[in-house]
Amino acid sequence: MNLVACSVLENREVTPGNFLLTLKIPRAFSRPEPGQFVHLRVSPEVEPLLRRPYSLEGFFERGGIRAVRIYYSVVGRGSRALAAQPKGQRLDLIGPLGIGFTPRPRRAPILVAGGRGVAPLLFLARKLREKKRPFVFLFGARGARELYGVREIRGGRLHLATDDGSVGYHGSVLTLLEREWETGGHTPLTAEIFTCGPHGLLHEVAELARDRGIRCEASLEGPMACAVGACRGCPVPLRPGVPENGGRYPAMCLEGPVMDATIVEWGRLP
Amino acid sequence: MTPASAPSLEVRIGSLALRNPVLVASGIIGYGNEYERLVDLSAIGGIVTKTVTRHARAGNPPPRVVETASGMLNSIGIENPGLEGFLEVKVPILRRLPCAVIVSVEGEDVREFCELVEGVSGSGVAHAIEVNISCPNVGPHGLRYSTDADMAREVMTAIRPLTTLPLLAKLTPNVTRIAEIAAACESCGADAVSLVNTFVGMAIDSVSRKPILGTVVGGLSGPAIKPLALAKVWEVVQAVDIPVVGMGGITMPRDALEFILAGSTAVQVGTALFANPTLAEACVEEIDAYLRRAELTSVVDLIGALEVPPERGQIRAGRSVPSSGRRESGGAS
Repeated sequence: MNLVACSVLENREVTPGNFLLTLKIPRAFSRPEPGQFVHLRVSPEVEPLLRRPYSLEGFFERGGIRAVRIYYSVVGRGSRALAAQPKGQRLDLIGPLGIGFTPRPRRAPILVAGGRGVAPLLFLARKLREKKRPFVFLFGARGARELYGVREIRGGRLHLATDDGSVGYHGSVLTLLEREWETGGHTPLTAEIFTCGPHGLLHEVAELARDRGIRCEASLEGPMACAVGACRGCPVPLRPGVPENGGRYPAMCLEGPVMDATIVEWGRLP
Repeated sequence: MTPASAPSLEVRIGSLALRNPVLVASGIIGYGNEYERLVDLSAIGGIVTKTVTRHARAGNPPPRVVETASGMLNSIGIENPGLEGFLEVKVPILRRLPCAVIVSVEGEDVREFCELVEGVSGSGVAHAIEVNISCPNVGPHGLRYSTDADMAREVMTAIRPLTTLPLLAKLTPNVTRIAEIAAACESCGADAVSLVNTFVGMAIDSVSRKPILGTVVGGLSGPAIKPLALAKVWEVVQAVDIPVVGMGGITMPRDALEFILAGSTAVQVGTALFANPTLAEACVEEIDAYLRRAELTSVVDLIGALEVPPERGQIRAGRSVPSSGRRESGGAS
C-alpha cells in the first residue's frame, strides 16, 4: 500500500450516470488483487473533504504503462466531483487496500453481480480467464443499458437478468443463482460464490449460501475516512453467535471489503 | 545569498520537549503503525494515540462517519483494546516510533482515570498523557468531566500525583465558558490543555427520515470548525498560563500558523490528514518557511503573536472582556 500520484487517462460516461475512469499510476503502486480497492482523492480541491473508496474494475500493464480502471455511478458529492475531472487531471490515491476475493483451487467459481457491483467481478473474471479457470457469471441489472462490461466476459458461462426484461431473464439475478445451483450439478464442496452489488442483493445471496452451506464471499461498500484501519470508521456488524464476532466490529477497510458473506449481519449495514 | 541558520522549531509542554509543534490528533492515526507507510513520523513532533479506555470497547454501531459541508461527523465510540490490550499489543508498536508519543486515556469514572494513568505511565512508552475528558461519543458519561469545572478538577486532582509525565487535559468546545474549565485544569496541575475536541452535531437523511449516524448525534470536525476552534483557543489563551495545544479543522499548512498565532504552543492535525496524509509534514515545512521569511529564530516567538489592536480585543460577543494582562501581546513594539 502506498500513496501515489495518478493522472486521468480517460473518464468516460458509459451510460447515463455511469462512468469508466482510467487512471495512469506509477510503479510504486503494487499489483492489486481483484476485490481490492483504492482510496481516491476525487478532486484536487479541498472539497469534497474525504477520499472515496473504489473497488478496482481492472489493472492493466501495457508498454511499461500501468493503469487501473474504476467503474462508478454518480450518486453523491464525491462521485459528482470525480465525474467532472478531465483527461490529464492529476489526482492521488492510496492503495491497493483491503482483502480481495480468494478463490479456492478446484472449486467452480460462481460470480453474482448486481448493477455497478459488477466492477470487481469483471476484474476477477479476467484473472480467472488468465489462469484458464472456467467460471459462471450471473449478472443482473435494472435494464440492458446497465449491463456494463458483458462483452468483456470471456472464458466463462454468462447469464443475464434484467428487472425490466429488456435482456436475458426477466427478474432477479438471485433466481438465476437458484437455478444455477439446482441445475448446474454444484455442491458446497465443488463450487463457491463471489458476489458484489446492492447490499439487499448481497443479503439474499448470503442467505441462500448459508442455507445450503456454500462458501460465499461478498464485496461490501460503505463510507470510509482513513481506509487504513486507523480511524475505525467503517465497522462491519457480524451476526450474533458467529465465532468471528467476539463482540467486535471488523473494519471494512482492513478485514474487507471482501468478506465471508454468511457471517455479516446484513440488516444492520446501511 | 547566505542561508540563515535554521530556525528552532522546538517547543515545550511541561517537561516534554517537542522537536516541532506539529502533532497528529487522537483518533486519527491509530497507534502510529497504521499510517507508517503514509506519514513520515520522523518529520513531525509526535502523535496522540487513539484513546485508551480501562476496558476494551467495540465502538458504536454503523454508520460511524458521514461527510458534511466542509466537515466530517463521526461517532466511532472509542473502539480500542482497553488498557490490558494496549499494554500488550500497542506498547511494543509505539516503542519503535520515531516521534514523541502522547497516549490519550479516558475513564468512565475517577478510579478508571487513575488506573489508566498509572498503567500508561508505568508502561514507559508515553512521553505525555492526554486526558480525554471530552469525547462526545461514549454514552451517558460522555462530556461529563469537561463540561463541569468541578468534575474536571476532581479528575485532574486525582491523577496528578500518580505520574510525573506531562498531563494534557483535552477539552470539549461544547460549553459556554471553556476558559473556566481550562483554568480549573490548570489549577489542579495540568501541564497543558488541548482543544478543541469535536462539536456535537447531527446529520439527517430527509428521504429515509432517519438520522445518518448510528448514534443519531456525533462529533463534527474538519475545516467547518476551524473558526470556532480558533475562537475557543483564543479564549483559553487569555485565561491560562500553561501551554495550549490547539486544534480543530487544520486543513492547509497555513492553518497551523493561525493556531500558533492565536496562542497555541503546539497544534494537532486531525480529519484533513485522512485526505492528505502528508499534511502534518507540510505544516512543519510551512512553519519553518514562515519563520525564515519573518527572520525569526524560534517558533516560540510566534506563539500568541497575533496582533490585536487594543480597541478590538476588548469586545467579545457584545460584552466587555476584562483584560487579563497575563500574556503579553506580540503587537507593535
